[in-house]
Parts: sequence; C-alpha cells; structure tokens
Amino acid sequence: MTASFLLIPAVQGLRRQLRKRHPKVLIALVVGGLLVALALYYGLYRFLAHVARAPMLGPIVGPMIGNLLVARFLEMIFLALFFMVVFSSIIAAFSAFYLDDEIRLLIASPIRITHIFWSRFILMLAESSWMVLAFFTPMFFAFASALKSPWWGYLVFLCYLGMYLLLPNILGALLALILSIFFPIRQMRKVFQFLSALVLAMMIIFFRFLEPEKLLNPRYFSSISSYILNLRAPTMEYFPSAWIQQASLTLFDGNLIGSLTTAWPLAATLLAGLVLLHVAAQRFYLTSWQASLEAVENQVLSLEWVRRALILPFRTLRPEHRVVVEKEITIFLRDPAIFSQIFMMAAIVFVYGYNLAILPLKDLPSLYSGEINDSMVYFNGPFIGFILAAISMRFVFPSISLEGRAFWAVKASPLQPSRLMWVKFFFYLGPILGLGLILCYISNMLFKVTHPLLFWLSYLNVSLMAIVITALAIGLGALYARFDSDNPLKIAGSFGGFVFMILSAVYVVNLLLLQAYPLFRLYFIRFYPLTQPAAKVFIGLSFFLLLICTIAWVYIPLRQGQEAIERYEPE
Amino acid sequence: MNPSDPVIVLKDIRKRYGTFEALKGIDLTIPAGELFGFLGPNGAGKTTLIRILTGILKPTTGTVTIGGADLLTQPEIAKSRIGYVPDRPYLYEKLTPLEYFDFVAGLYALPEGQARQRGEEMLHRFTLWEWRDELIESFSHGMKQKVAMSAALLHDPDILVVDEPTVGLDPRSVKIVRDFFKDLVRRGKTIFLTTHTLSVAEDLCDRIGIIHHGTLVALGTIDALREQARSPGSDLESIFLKLTEEEDLPPPAVTSPAA
Repeated sequence: MTASFLLIPAVQGLRRQLRKRHPKVLIALVVGGLLVALALYYGLYRFLAHVARAPMLGPIVGPMIGNLLVARFLEMIFLALFFMVVFSSIIAAFSAFYLDDEIRLLIASPIRITHIFWSRFILMLAESSWMVLAFFTPMFFAFASALKSPWWGYLVFLCYLGMYLLLPNILGALLALILSIFFPIRQMRKVFQFLSALVLAMMIIFFRFLEPEKLLNPRYFSSISSYILNLRAPTMEYFPSAWIQQASLTLFDGNLIGSLTTAWPLAATLLAGLVLLHVAAQRFYLTSWQASLEAVENQVLSLEWVRRALILPFRTLRPEHRVVVEKEITIFLRDPAIFSQIFMMAAIVFVYGYNLAILPLKDLPSLYSGEINDSMVYFNGPFIGFILAAISMRFVFPSISLEGRAFWAVKASPLQPSRLMWVKFFFYLGPILGLGLILCYISNMLFKVTHPLLFWLSYLNVSLMAIVITALAIGLGALYARFDSDNPLKIAGSFGGFVFMILSAVYVVNLLLLQAYPLFRLYFIRFYPLTQPAAKVFIGLSFFLLLICTIAWVYIPLRQGQEAIERYEPE
Repeated sequence: MNPSDPVIVLKDIRKRYGTFEALKGIDLTIPAGELFGFLGPNGAGKTTLIRILTGILKPTTGTVTIGGADLLTQPEIAKSRIGYVPDRPYLYEKLTPLEYFDFVAGLYALPEGQARQRGEEMLHRFTLWEWRDELIESFSHGMKQKVAMSAALLHDPDILVVDEPTVGLDPRSVKIVRDFFKDLVRRGKTIFLTTHTLSVAEDLCDRIGIIHHGTLVALGTIDALREQARSPGSDLESIFLKLTEEEDLPPPAVTSPAA
C-alpha cells in the first residue's frame, strides 16, 4: 500500500465538494480568478518593465541599475514566500499529522508508518501551499516577462518553484515532528503558535528594515557605486531564496545549462531535507502521535476576567440574542490560536500604519503635496478594505462553520437560523467597522487631508466597505459552511474563503467605479463651476446607484446564507 | 389540553433523498403521558423520523403537529414544546456544562436564574456536579450524553424525544435514566424514544412502533405486537426479529479465512 493510495479519500472528498457546486459558479470563479491573476501579472509586469529600464538614469546606466533592482525585488519576494509557507505549513502540520480524525484509523491499520506520514505530508503540502502558489505564480511570470525570458523559461521555472516550495514545508514538518517529542500536542500547539507568530513578526520587521522603497531612490545612498554594490549583494547569501533567485535570473536570461548548474544547492538541500524528514518520521512520528492523545488541559480560567468584561455590555439583550453573543465571545477567547492570530492581525495593521508613515510625501514639490495627499486618501480606501477583508476572513467568515456539529441544538430550538445570522452580523459589524474607522482616522491624520469632500468620503467608503464585507463574511460563511471542521484557518482557507476574498475585492472596485465620476467632477476639476444640470444628475445617480448596489451586496449574501442554513440538515 | 389528547400527530410523512425514499408515508398519533418506543433495524429510518419530529429535517411531504401546533407553519411554538437528545451528543466543546445550559436556555428564551437552578439540579441528578467548571471537550461520550439530556429538559418540555438514550452510559447511569423517564411519564410528560436495547423498550414503553425500510410495520402494546407476529409468549427480541426479517435474503454464509 503506497502513500498515494491513502490520498484517495481526500481526492474523492475534493471531487465531491466540486460536484456540489453549480458548474456556472465554478466557471465564474475560475474566470474571476484568472482575471485577478491576469491583472496582477500585467500590473506588476508594467511596473517591473519600467523599473528595469529606469529611464530617469539614462539609456546606459538605467537598464543596468534597473535590472539589478528587479533582481533584488525578485529575491525579496522569494524570501517573503519562504517565510509565508513556513508559517502556513506549521499550522497545517498540526491538523495533518496529529489532529485529523482519520489518523486513528490509519494508525490502527497495518500500513507502514512512513507511508501514513508521507500521505499526510502531501495533504499538508497542498493545504499550506495552494493559495500562495496561485497568488505568486502570476507575480513570478511578470518578472520573467520583464526580464524577457524565453518561453521554455516559464516551464522550467515552475519546476524550480515546486522545489523551492517543498523546502519550507519540509522545515515546517520537521519542526512539528521534533517539538512534538518534547511537548504534548496541546501545549506544543501553543508553543508553535507563539513561535510562528514570532517568525512572522521577525519577517515583517526584517522587511521593513530593508526599506525596499529606498532602493527606488538613489538619493538615499552616498554614491552611485555604493548604491550598485548594495543592489548586487544578496539579502541573505546562503539561503534558498538567493539560490533560486540566481537560478531564475540565469534561466530568464536564456541560459538553461548555467541555470541548472546554479540550482544545484537548491536541489541538494531539498534532497537532504527529504531524507532527513523520512528518517525523522520513521523514528518519531508514531511516538509523537501517541503523545498527542494526552488529556486536554482546561483553558477556562486563563482569560475568564476578559470574557466576563466583554460579555457585560450585552447583558441587556433579549435572552436568545444575548446567549449567541456570549457564546461567540467565549469560544473566541478559548480558541488556543487566539493570541497568535490577534498578533498576526496586529502586525498587518502595524505594517499598514508604518508604511503610510514612511511614504516619501515630503519629497514631493510642496505646491502639489496637498493635492496628492488628498488624492491618496481616495486610493487608500481599497487598502483599508483589504485589511478588513483579511481580518474578516479569519474571524468572521468561519463563525457559522464553527457552530460545528453542535448546530443541531439551534436547529431543534425555537430560534430561527436567520436570527442567529443577523445577531452574528451585528455583533461582528461593531469591531470591523470600528477598526475600519480607526484606520481611516490614522490615514487621514497622516495624509493631513484638507478637502472636506475627500475627508468625509473616506469615512463613508470605509463604513460601506465594513458593512458589505461583514455581510459577505457571514452570508458566504453560511453558504459555504463547513460544519465538520473546527479549525478556523482551514475554514478561512477553503473554497468559500477564496470566494469571499474575490467578492470583497469586486465590491471595492464597484464602489470606486461608482464614485469615479462624482469625484472627478467635484474634486479633480472642482475649479470649473458645476453648472450643467446633466452633471448634477450624474452625480446624484452615481450615489443612488452606490446605495442600491450596497443594499444588494448586503442583502443577497445574507439571504443566500440564510437559505443555506435553513436547508442544512445536521448529521 | 386533556391528558388523552394527542400531543404528537404525524400524517403521511415521507422523506426522499434523491431517488432513495427513507420514509414511505408514516402515520402516527401519540397521546399525552405516553412513553412510546420506536424500534427498527439500522438504516430503517428511525433517526430520520426523529429529526423530522424535532424540526431539524423537513419532510418531503406530510405534516407534523406538536401539541396542536403545526411544526412547519408554527415552528417556534411547536419546537418550544419539545426537548431533544440526539444519538450522538455533539455539543459546544469550548463551553462548560453550565455555560452550555445557559446557551440552550437562551435559545428557548428562559429567564437566566430559572435555567441556572434547573441546570444545577440536573448536574446533581446525573452526577456531573463536580465537572461543572470543566470544558465539555474533556468529557467522555456518556458524560456528554448526560449533558445533552439535562439541556433538553431545561425548559421543562411536554415532550422529550430521545434517540438511543442508553448508548455510552454505564449501568448506574442507565438505571438513573430509566428511573428518570418513569418519573417524567408519571408527571404527565410524553417520551418518544428509539433504542436498540430491546430490554429497555420492553421495560419502559407503553406502546412500540417498529419501522422497517421506511414503513411502519407494527404498532401497539407488547401484547398487540405478539399477536401481530403470531408469537404468543415471545419476548420483544423474538417479535422484533420476526417482524423485520428479510424474506428475500438468505442468511450470510460464514466461512473461515483459510477456506
């Protein structure tokens, strides 16, 4: 019996999941996903092609420095990818190796332990890497196009990328195995979550201190030679990101043999990693799995005072609403992943604020800086929307699924499932809206917005985005509910989570498009008096359409979600 | 409502999953104060019927009336009269039993103090008091079953619907449950239970219904079932086996692996 044979149930499960979806929905999602990938590819390609030419530095020095810049960006992206996959593989390793229900059955069977381990590793690999692969591949292809790679360069690059992605997964799996020998799984989970949060925080700080924006501006360096030297030196010399960057650059240059020669440290490390992991699995997997069965610790007491404080404001609600809110808060605080997740979200918000703070607005000619600062507020909206969507995907979207198999208790009670959804919607809207408004306030303060239209429009946009994103998270969370999973990360990373992120992005585009005309007329050409009645009508119509669209964006997902949970028949 | 008035009325209940018909037109009337046992082989449709009766599933056709309220058109009224204990006690694992009781009591819009007092009583009755501050995730199957049963009784329902009440319980707990059911019936409550433990059904039930392949093949007191099976003096196990025997299937051949 081979490891691939053990994957049959997972493949069948995936096939069943896909078959459940309407073909039209699947086609729309594939087309939508491809459009996003295409937009990502084309946008980055244009940017990189421009940077590679560096026209401001002249026709001779420009391309030389430009290509170095692109190469440095490529290495940074490889480095970011490595840390991201290490982080997600650590999380995936817990479920795949220790916590999934079917492992008991497999361990009790006469299958060789290494076969079980490798089948679980493949599942872990797929779970931790599919989304980053889908997101990063168009980005890497944009680099290949900007560096004028031959067609076969793209194909060989995919093999390099596959090899490169395996490395952080092997590292994640190894860490999981080794630590599980020393800690029982529940405690180890905490240790790991803390470590992964630490790794992520270090990565964020590391990237921020690299200050990639300075690379675009040679004025930050004492001389042009120091600038070039800085660009030539790899960020981390003896690290897989530098190896794959060198191999990719040689490949995109059309030198296949040279590229394969450059890639050998990557291949050798990968081979050594696979052997090491096999030996570790053979020696430690069974013992560590048995240790993972140890009793669950009681986590009631640690955050009890926080829980009591948080539920206090909801004491006056009607009993059926109060208990739903109290349960949400209680389960949220007792999730063992809570600290690392909050830490991660805080890191995202920090990076956002820090990036705003270091924007080189002061370098712009003072005559235009006010104008540009004001305009930045409008274009900053989608970034806040993205942060809200990312946070909602982790904390709001899984909310209905986390009712889990216990949902029968609600279905058998007089409380209508639709009421449960609305309570959750209003409960989560508070923090999401609050966070959006705080981010908006910080960015308005940093941009020193002067124009009242943009000032108030930014708050309106953030409020509308918060409402729609919360409705989408709850509605789609119900429509694509996975009551069989108790892992919020797994639920967030599912097909439904992907749909949620795509639709959130589509709404933000929808919002910006409908505001484009009023903004153009009322702000960008504000010195021309608004005299034509048609312009006023168009402005009114734009805002009216925005209102109608927003109502539809709130109503439709909630309605669909409501129908889905009313139809749902618990096990 | 008079004690003899029916509290559960099922009319022509059918449930179809694609081309498979799990229930093929069940008609059943149960009066108040009766302990009704619902038996059948695996896959006969017991759990499906119970879930329809509790409003978790919707029947493909047919009506369910609970204490005069139609379950499909007046679900809030009908559901508030039922307490349900499922066969697999999936509960909110990150709550303690008392927190879980508070949650369930809220779903039934009970005042907080009343639910708390009743919950504590139930924990004492089912010997779970010392576990009151532990998370449910650390409980065994039997303990979860007792928590689910306690929660089902918080709102003092007229009808208790129990799917496999004795699975996973130790002998002492089985006795507690049996005595408790008898006590509930004495107080005029109606109990609808399914079980594979025929001795429990024989000991407790006023009437028994036997379902086979989605059809109610027998209904009545033990004596009536004996008559129906033409097995005078037989115990419930013999009656059950006779009424649910597969006429068209030969008994499975038993061979040794070496053969």
